[in-house]
Order: sequence, then structure tokens, then C-alpha cells
Amino acid sequence: MTRGFALPFAACLCLLVALGCGAGRAGADNLRAEVDARKIGIQEQVVLTITVEGSSLPEEVDRPAFTNLRVVGIPSTSTQVSLVNGRMSQSRSWTYVLQPAAVGSAEVGAVRVRLQSGEYSTAPIPIEVVPGAVKPAPAPRSQDPFGEDPFGMLRSQRPAEPMLFVEAKPSRSSLYVGEPLLLTYYLYTRTSVSSLQFTGAPEFNGFWAEDLQQPGQPTDEPATVEGVPYHRFAVMKKLLFPTRSGRLVIPSAMLSIGIPPQGFFDNGGTVQRATKAVFIEVKPIPEESGFSGAVGKFEASASVDRPSLALGEAATLRFKVEGAGNLKWIDRGPELSVPGAKVFPPQVKSNLEVKPGGITGSRTWEFVVVPQTAGTLEVPSLAFSYFDPEARSIVKSATKPLTLEVRGGVPGAVTPAPMSGPGIAQRGGPLPLRTDLERPPRWAASIPGRWVGFAALGVLLLHGLLWGGDALGRLARASSPVAAPAGVRSALGELKRVGREGMSKEAAAGLIEKTIHRVFGAMDGDETERARAVRTLLEEVQAVRYAPQLGDYSERLRELATRAGDVVRKWA
Amino acid sequence: MGVSAVRIALVSLVLALGAPRPGAAAAPGSGAASAPAPPSAAMHAEAPASAPAPARDGTPQAQFRRAGEMARGGDFPGAIAIYQRLAAGGAESATLYWNWAQAAAARGSMGEALWALLRARELDPGDRAVARDIERLRESASLDRAELAPDPLASLARASRRFRLDALALLLLLVSLCAHAVLKWRRAGALAPLMWTTLALGLAIAVVPVAGALAHATGAVVRRGAPLFDAASPTAEAVGTLREGEVLPILESSGGYVRVEDSSGARGWALASDVRSLGSAPRPGS
Repeated sequence: MTRGFALPFAACLCLLVALGCGAGRAGADNLRAEVDARKIGIQEQVVLTITVEGSSLPEEVDRPAFTNLRVVGIPSTSTQVSLVNGRMSQSRSWTYVLQPAAVGSAEVGAVRVRLQSGEYSTAPIPIEVVPGAVKPAPAPRSQDPFGEDPFGMLRSQRPAEPMLFVEAKPSRSSLYVGEPLLLTYYLYTRTSVSSLQFTGAPEFNGFWAEDLQQPGQPTDEPATVEGVPYHRFAVMKKLLFPTRSGRLVIPSAMLSIGIPPQGFFDNGGTVQRATKAVFIEVKPIPEESGFSGAVGKFEASASVDRPSLALGEAATLRFKVEGAGNLKWIDRGPELSVPGAKVFPPQVKSNLEVKPGGITGSRTWEFVVVPQTAGTLEVPSLAFSYFDPEARSIVKSATKPLTLEVRGGVPGAVTPAPMSGPGIAQRGGPLPLRTDLERPPRWAASIPGRWVGFAALGVLLLHGLLWGGDALGRLARASSPVAAPAGVRSALGELKRVGREGMSKEAAAGLIEKTIHRVFGAMDGDETERARAVRTLLEEVQAVRYAPQLGDYSERLRELATRAGDVVRKWA
Repeated sequence: MGVSAVRIALVSLVLALGAPRPGAAAAPGSGAASAPAPPSAAMHAEAPASAPAPARDGTPQAQFRRAGEMARGGDFPGAIAIYQRLAAGGAESATLYWNWAQAAAARGSMGEALWALLRARELDPGDRAVARDIERLRESASLDRAELAPDPLASLARASRRFRLDALALLLLLVSLCAHAVLKWRRAGALAPLMWTTLALGLAIAVVPVAGALAHATGAVVRRGAPLFDAASPTAEAVGTLREGEVLPILESSGGYVRVEDSSGARGWALASDVRSLGSAPRPGS
């Protein structure tokens, strides 16, 4: 039990002793003033850092007097607190960037500060200012904003607002359509950067854009902007080719830049920076018949794989254009016509490489030439026209004529040529043009297939309605106890015939009976008033029909016909 | 041949009717028409009445003739520009595309010439001269027949237009409907065979234009070495080259690009200006 208490108690005591020792040491106050160089060039800056260490740190220190020096930008402040091996220390630093005013002597005056333990001061710092630049280049380790340096945050001090910006820089601002333009996106920074990315894809309207291979790690270039030294990194390069003339605009691009933690209590963050819009003047290139659209400097050459061949064999003619420019977009090769041979459309092969200076390499058009006759065939000179921006004119590069020796067969005997007629004219022949613009009349315009389909469906629907109408009518008549109007009219007409045409009493009674049956149908089991009236009438009719012929029944039959008409009118 | 002759005659008739006749009143302010024409002038005016009347400047007919003169003079781009303007303005006809094809062929644009001929065939499937030149160009470009007709349904649509199967089907269906109506209201039983026959024939013939309407839109490659891209984007990579003159089904379009499939089955995006549609007139500037 006693032993169980003893161990925690001892641990707490040790901790208190350790903290007490640490607190006692935190009272060691100190003041330092340091510059990063004692000798600088007139165009360079010197960084003054004033550091105060102690248990209580002042919020501000008086700015020292500067001789032949002026402050550039806003001074930055940073505070550091550390607890290492039980020892707590804290410090606060003020950083000034100073620019010399003239060649000669300069001085940072004494710094004075009052702390709890007393007043402290530093000695003045003399600085020699010489013409030009003398400061050594910064050490590479601290210049790499993308490098991972876990101790960098303890060594460096980040200003309140990160001093960085981005710029889109074109290699030139005026060029011809089709000429290459190198556009570089630079990051200028005086602080570490942990990440960098475009918030949206940069737009290059009016340009054909080619990506350039970037090295794995951006390289640092020192740069001075408005007197402030920066580290400059090329973050993206694009090779652009204007596709139209005029004043083209490369719009502003936004970048999101990650800042790593710069101190113990700093979590880092992300800042946004945008490039300025870039304006490019694009000059038009002249239009000329036969001009391929190529811009740059090119050399054309031609060769055949076999200068001598047998009739029936084929040779390959290669027309090669080599040089630097926008060759990638030139697809159209020369027109090749070899008298006495059939020439097939060419295949195009490219061997091009995108470089910051443009696209270099070659493009080859391979024609298959099949001789149609024996003898010596001449492949004419082939020309490639391109616009030379240096000469500011269209230049033609022509190949030398070539010959093909065709063996076998009879020289001059031409193999059967494709059919000819008054159609597509060969070059140079008369054009079989039609003279009048024959426009088809409007009524001759074809009816769209969909409309025909819809019309067919409509006709089928109408047929269905007609068929359906008949069927429904029959169904209605069969199911309804009421006769159709047409049936009533015809029944009444039948009943009027009774007794008029010298009918026998059997025939007349039969006609009445048949008419009644036709109108009312079978009424078995029906006990309605209507059925009873019809049955009574039928019984009377049948009584007359089957009665012996003992007198004149004509009056009786007319009376029955009249009653039957009344029944039909009332109940049918 | 007969159809063409009839058309030429009709056009001549229209032109003759449209020409100013002797003694007709002219527009106000026209000094020539302020006084009655003398008899001799009327006789002179009657003499050339059978010849085609001079076309007015600016009319499609006049522009068409001017384009023809330019083509004969060797100004093929100028002539083609006029043909394109006329087509975009609605003056499309097989004749227009025929001349366009001749000018394009003379300029060396075989793909454009083939496209123009195919477009002419779409407008007048019965024009045998057009069919003959399509065959000739196909052979010279070493294209297979299947490469000019990737969708068999398109042939059905052409057959429908050529033989006016659309109108015939509608006529037969209308007759069957009338016969049915008469059969119902007049109880004319003799019309039943007519009704059934016309209905069956009409439906059978209507299948052709309806099936033709299901054909894919197609376009012809008008530029030699036209690239096939992997995406509809200016920064897309070229994955192949299309054959000049080949007819391709257009699967979809996006901006200035069309998605196509070539005869080898490769699918990709091509510039809409490189693959010109066979189903409609080219847009100005394409």
C-alpha cells in the first residue's frame, strides 16, 4: 500500500523540480541584432533580424536608426516558443529588409529594449555598400519550395502575408499565324511552398496548344522584382501556335498555392494568386495558291525506293519535308502525277518532336507508283510552299526530278487506263459543267420517312375505327333490348303492307309475327310489361293465323297490324 | 435522260415566262418602257423568245452561271465559294453539286469532289451521270464500294426518293381508307378487295422510306490526311488518319467535331470541316 503511493509521488516531484528548473532558466533575457551581410551591392538588400529572448517579451521594439539605408516593405514579426528537455524558451523576432541608398558606408544603429531584467542594447552594425552585387547566391536547400524539410519551419520565419506571386510570361508578344510561342507560368516566392495547382485549366483561345515536358523538380532562378529578390520557378510551359490573326488574349489563370507551417503555432494555409492577362499581336500570313499553310523553315526532298523496276511492279516515292515550324498540322501533300504511271493516294508518316523553340522533325508522304508502260518515266519536281517569318514571304522548296526505269513490255504500250468520259475532268481538260441551275420543284421534295411512318399508323388507326364502329354497332344491337331506329322504320313499313296486297290471312298474320320477332327477338323468361304486351299481341296474331277460314279477317288483321305498329313504336 | 430533258424544258419555260415580254409595262422610271415599243422592236423581241432569257445579276441562276465561268477560267476556289453560298442559301440541286464536284476535282480536292457527287446523288438519286462519276472517283481513290456505303439503310432511303415510294405509299393508304369508308357507308361490298389490296401494298411500300429514315447520318472525308482524334478537343491526340473520300457514319457531334467510325472499326473524333455531312447543305464557312 505504502509502496503503491510512493511511485506516483516521486514522479510528480521530479516533474515539479524539472519545471521549476526550466522556469528559472526562462528568465535569461537576451537581445540580438543580426544582418545577413556586412558588404552588399548597391542593387542588393540586406535583411536585419532583431531577436529578443526572455520570460516576458515586448510587443514592439523601437526601430533603430538607419544610415544610408531605407526600409523596403513591411517589417515582419514572428514568435517562437519551445519546450525541449524540460527547458522552455521563447523569443520574438522582427525582420527588416533594407535597401542601400548610395555607394559608401551604411549603418544600422543600436537597438534598445527594456525588459523585466533591465535595459538591453546592441552595438551599431556597419555595412559597406559597393557598386554592383556582391552577395553570394542563397544556399540551395532553403531555396527549394517543394522540398520536404522538417526543420525548415524552425529555421525560417514566414511573414504575415506570404510574399509570392505568379506570372504568365510569353517568349514574344508579336508573331505570325502558325509561329510558335513559348508561354511560361512562373512562381515568384520568398517563402516555402508545399503545393501548387491551377484552380482551372488555363485557356488558350485562338491558339493550338502543345504541352512541353517538365523536369521532375522545378529549378530555381534568382529574380529581382521592384527591388525585392525572389526565387523564381517555372511551374508550367506551353508551346502555343496562333491559328488566327489579330490581337489575341491569353486570359488570367488562377493558382492555388499551399504554404507549409512556418512556426510552432502556425498551421500553414493556402493562398490564391492569379496571373495577368497576356496580349499577343498575331500578324496574318499571306494567302497564295498552292500555299500549304506551313510556317517556319523547311527543306523538301524526294526519293524512290527502286529507280529501276519491271512492268507490273510498284515503286514507292517518298516526299519528305524536314525542318522546324508548324509541320504537325500540315496534312496535305503535293499533287503527284507521273505520266505513264498510276499514282495512289499517299500515306503520311511523321517524326516530330515538341521543343521549347518549336516543333522540329520531318513529315513524309509515301506515294505508291505503278508504271503503266515500259521505258523511262520521269517523276516531276515536287514543291512545298511555306511561309518564312524571317524572310516575311512565302518560300518554295522544290525537289529535283527523278527517273524510273521500267523494264519489260513494249515501250510506249500503255496498259488499259480507267474508263474515261465526260465526267470528272482530268487536270487541264475542259470542265463538263452544267449551264443551268435546275432546281427540283417543291412538290417533288421527298417526304421524310418518319412522316410516312406516322401517316401509315394514322391510316391504320382510322381503319381500326371503321372496323371497330361496325363491330360495336353489331354488339350494341345484340345486347340492347331496344331496336335501332333503322330497324323500327323498316318494321313499320312491313306492317303497313298487311292487308294491302291481297295477302291471305296466314301470310298477313305471318308477316306481323315475323316482324314482331325481328324487332323484339326471343323474349323467353322476360316478365316485363313490354314482354307481356308483345306476347299478348303475338297470341292474338297466331289465333287469327291458325283460325279456320270462316269469314273475312281483313279488318281484324288491319287492327292487329295497327296494334303491332303501336307496340313497335312504344317498346322497340 | 428523259427526266433531265423534261427538267431542262421546264427550266427554260420558267425562264422564258420570267423574262420581260415585248410591250409589257416596265418599272417606273425606266426610260425604255415609258413609250410603247414600236412594231419592229416587238418583232425583234419575239425572235429570241425561245432562247434562255438573260438572268438577272444576283439571282441564283446568274450566280450559278458566273461560278461556271470562273471555274472555266481556272478560278476554282472562287467558283466553289459561290456554289457553297448558293447551297447554304437553299438553292441546292444535283446540278449545283455536279458543277461543284467538277471544280473541286480540277483543283485536286478528290475528297470534296466525291462528297459533292454523293450529295448530288442524295438530291437526285436517278442522275446516272452522277452515279458514273462517283464510280470513277471511287476507283481512282482505290476505295471499296463498302467504304462509300457504310449503312445499307441509306440505300433504302435513296431508293425511296428515287422511285417516290413515300408518295406512293401514302397514296395507296389513302385509297384504302377511302374504299373502307365507302364500303361502310354505302355497303358497297365490291370495294373490299380494293381496300385490302391497297392497304397491304401501301404498308409494304411504306416500310422502305420508314427503314431509310433509321439510317445513320453519314459524312464524307473531304481532306487528305484528315486526322482522327481521341477527343473533341484542340489538345486531343491524333490516333489515326482518315481516308480521303471515305464515307463514315456520324455517331454524334460536339462543337466543331464529329464522332465517326471508319471502315476498320476505329472510332474517334474528326473536325467537322474534314467530314462533311451528306444529309444537309454545308454551313457557310465550313
